[in-house]
Amino acid sequence: MERFDALIIGGGVVGSATAREMARNKLKIGVLEKNLDICYETSGRNSGVVHAGFAYDVGSLKAKLCVEGNNEFGKIAEELDVPFKRTGKVLVGNSDEELRSLQNIIQQGEKNGVKGLTIIDKKKLHEIVPAVQGEFALLSPSSGITDPFQYTIALAENAAKNGVKYYFDHEVTSIHKNPDKTYTVMTTHGEFRTRWIINSAGLGCGKISEMMGISGYRIIGSKGDYIILDKRTGPLLPLPVYPVPSNTYMGIHVTPTTDGNVIVGPDAEAVTDFSYYGVPQKNMDYLAKSASNLWPCIRKADYIRNYSGILPKWVDDNGVIQDFKIEANIDLAPRTINLIGIESPGLTAALPIARHVIKLMSQQETFKPNEDFCPRRKSFVRFAQQSIEVKKALIAENPDYGEIVCRCEKITKAEILNAIHNPLGVNTMTGIKYRTRSMMGRCQGGYCQMRIAKMIEEELGIDTKDVLYARQGSNLFAGKIRNI
Amino acid sequence: MEEKDVIIIGGGPAGLAAAVELYHKGIKNILVIERENTLGGILRQCIHDGFGLNRFKTTLSGPEYAQRFIDEVEKDNISYMTNTTVLSVGQDKVVTTVGRRGLKTYRAKAVVLAMGCRERTRGALGIPGERPTGVFTAGVAQAYMNLQNTMVGRNIIILGSGDIGMIMARRFTLEGATVKAVFEIQPYPSGLPRNIQQCLNDYGIPLYLSKTVTDIHGNSRLTGITVSDVDKHLNPIPGTEQDLDCDTLILSVGLIPENELSLEAGVELDSRTKGAIVDEYYQTSVDGIFAAGNVLHVHDLVDFVSMEAEKLADSVADYLHNQSLPKATISILPDTNINHTVPQKISGKNSFMLSLRVSKPLQDCVINICQNDKILKTKKITKAIPAQMIQIPIQKEILSDTGSLEVRVTC
Amino acid sequence: MLKNYICIVCPNSCEITAEVENGEILSLTGATCNRGQEYVRQELTNPVRNIASSVLLENGVLPLASVRLSKPIPKDKIFNVMDKIKEIRLNAPVAIGQIVIGNVLGLDSDVIITKNIDAK
Repeated sequence: MERFDALIIGGGVVGSATAREMARNKLKIGVLEKNLDICYETSGRNSGVVHAGFAYDVGSLKAKLCVEGNNEFGKIAEELDVPFKRTGKVLVGNSDEELRSLQNIIQQGEKNGVKGLTIIDKKKLHEIVPAVQGEFALLSPSSGITDPFQYTIALAENAAKNGVKYYFDHEVTSIHKNPDKTYTVMTTHGEFRTRWIINSAGLGCGKISEMMGISGYRIIGSKGDYIILDKRTGPLLPLPVYPVPSNTYMGIHVTPTTDGNVIVGPDAEAVTDFSYYGVPQKNMDYLAKSASNLWPCIRKADYIRNYSGILPKWVDDNGVIQDFKIEANIDLAPRTINLIGIESPGLTAALPIARHVIKLMSQQETFKPNEDFCPRRKSFVRFAQQSIEVKKALIAENPDYGEIVCRCEKITKAEILNAIHNPLGVNTMTGIKYRTRSMMGRCQGGYCQMRIAKMIEEELGIDTKDVLYARQGSNLFAGKIRNI
Repeated sequence: MEEKDVIIIGGGPAGLAAAVELYHKGIKNILVIERENTLGGILRQCIHDGFGLNRFKTTLSGPEYAQRFIDEVEKDNISYMTNTTVLSVGQDKVVTTVGRRGLKTYRAKAVVLAMGCRERTRGALGIPGERPTGVFTAGVAQAYMNLQNTMVGRNIIILGSGDIGMIMARRFTLEGATVKAVFEIQPYPSGLPRNIQQCLNDYGIPLYLSKTVTDIHGNSRLTGITVSDVDKHLNPIPGTEQDLDCDTLILSVGLIPENELSLEAGVELDSRTKGAIVDEYYQTSVDGIFAAGNVLHVHDLVDFVSMEAEKLADSVADYLHNQSLPKATISILPDTNINHTVPQKISGKNSFMLSLRVSKPLQDCVINICQNDKILKTKKITKAIPAQMIQIPIQKEILSDTGSLEVRVTC
Repeated sequence: MLKNYICIVCPNSCEITAEVENGEILSLTGATCNRGQEYVRQELTNPVRNIASSVLLENGVLPLASVRLSKPIPKDKIFNVMDKIKEIRLNAPVAIGQIVIGNVLGLDSDVIITKNIDAK
């Protein structure tokens, strides 16, 4: 049985951020992830916005950790080689009531430490986003956008480089407190012994909390659906455009991605089934209709794909959504940290949350620093983004850079090979997709998926019938037509 | 920068026919650029027969039809590069390519766009539901089966009665898979009746019209779909949902000309064809850039693609000789019974082939081509379906050089 | 008695109606060419079809070689011919027209290669 100093349950953005921060200390750390890669749940199903922090109650953890995360995001993105654009954000309004709401938001934001919030008039609004419909807006200059896949992967790869071991396809089934101050954690693929447990299971946080002996947290899912639009629409949306939030009407916002697509959504629907990610027709129609009021550039001809994400919200008995809960319950579960209800702004606040976790851990144990910790992580070169000279040099050194595999996004064979041989050992199609952006273009893998499947089979010795798309059981093919 | 007389983007049937014809017209400084590792284009994966009936008076498979042109290209020693992708085409006809040998730019006097088309995807169609594996477009399934020895599934439902979907229904059945049904959203089939006979009826595969897929089920791999009836506006009728088990859904729901490079070059597209707006010389809105084949408008018969590409080549040869071609100032205006025409405008000075598709099935009609309130030509049609392109040769003698050309259908 | 057919010979897909009495064809209407008439006659006596498929290819730049039949075969023998095709293993290179199975199942039709494929 493998023994660890700390096991982190859930390898999403918060779990991986925690793993990375924890690796600054001399500890044997493992991450138990139930899926076959790290961004299959909430971490990979959002709009990638780096929030400023004005939307949260003054004094809340959400506010404090979000502002901290937003301030440092530029530096972190550089350190981890992750795309990030501090685009700003506008909340667009039309009525006096909405103007009052925005002024309240500014007050709240300033108390939370958010800088530069201001109301801009119609003229200024249309200078920033000519295509938007609205009379005025709140401009939040510190808001930004990132690539949630690249960010989560970067944190995990950096953690792995600093000694953290990742275990995929390991769903935790039970936790047993041992008399010697350790825990035995049973999973679908083996048992582990550990001194510390961090519950960063996201949608599964309630379940894991119960297993740890801390019961009673009520978690509801808030499901949001999204539509992705073709890059053609990108130039029309330079920054995220939101409607003014209200208690009675949920307006739908639009967000550009760091690759130049536009995301419409999400909406919000309370759910209890955390495994259903289907997008119903009426939701798609509602998203398009509602967002068109704000940004009338949504056409069905530009739809590339849709997807769905579920946020785990901690609610009280009256159903009121609570703040982040990050607790060290020494009585019920010593040497555990319980993360409950880590929904938005979890992505923005991931590293501050991680530091908060370690601070709580340090109250029960003194850690020795890891002198060999390296905070920097380099992604691989993206051919499409390089200048002509660099492109030529890349091909001269490695002709695999001269073979375009994903035609829509101009991703080369060299990049696909890099992704197939990724440091975490992920071997699914979506693993390649998230790491390279291949299959995300307008033909949705129509041209490249075939080639990539063949490369996965050949490079990793995987049989045709065993090539998986994302989850366990997501076999792409039935097998060969003619067997050797 | 290396100079070429003509660069042909795409080594499929259109590109190959254009290359061979150009060569025979005395244009030798040609370069064909193909992104796959062999020439032939989509024909490489179309292993069924039915190609060449028109042109070669015999029935060939796709690869055999392509080989006839590839043999000519090899015999004439026409330059081509495979495994090479065009990264960009400028309005100035500078073409940037990338391959294992490196990045290279060329300046061409004329560029021929022959990139073919891609398939409409599930995401573009916006079919709701979960997103499991097992949903494939028909062409991709065909490529997997015929080029990569990969069987995509065993228990299959097909959405779309286009020719590709029906051809694949037969292919799957011959390989031992079960094709449960083909569903078509229109009240009429979108492919040729002969394919309904030889791909569906022959194998007892039912075809249901006025139905579409309204939900997809499966968390990891497809477990089933929901189909609904549609009304005359093609909207699903609530209450008509039917759940069906399957592990594979094949989509044959439309082909879209692949014009990303064309747009970058400043070429104007026709929103109905999704291909370039061209004149009778197949010249686009950018001087010296021409288009033919599926990238211009989706064809049903490769024989017509070859013919079109050869006409294009003749025009390119004239263009190179005279450094320009007569201006096309006469618009072609189809009525509502016609989905589109190619070309969309003409000079009025030359004979040309008018290609068109009707927008819905028509019986016993007359197509009148009129100019300045005079009927220039009439064609009687006993039966016309959107699935079959209609070609009408127009002689230059009947044309006048002013006045829009109206194409009207009366039944 | 009247029987309706969709001709599969060419894309025109003519709808042909045959008036049949005691196994004799009294009339054929709807065909726009002779091949259509021939097709219906054949359908009434011995329906035939051509098929295309693939055979396993070893050491080639592609894993499968596409094949078709040199002549149509009786419709009811299609799956028997498919069984034969599935058994084949060939070695690259192969060339268009190469006979893989001559006179398959004695049906006077050959299984022939339809694509040139080089050895690896």
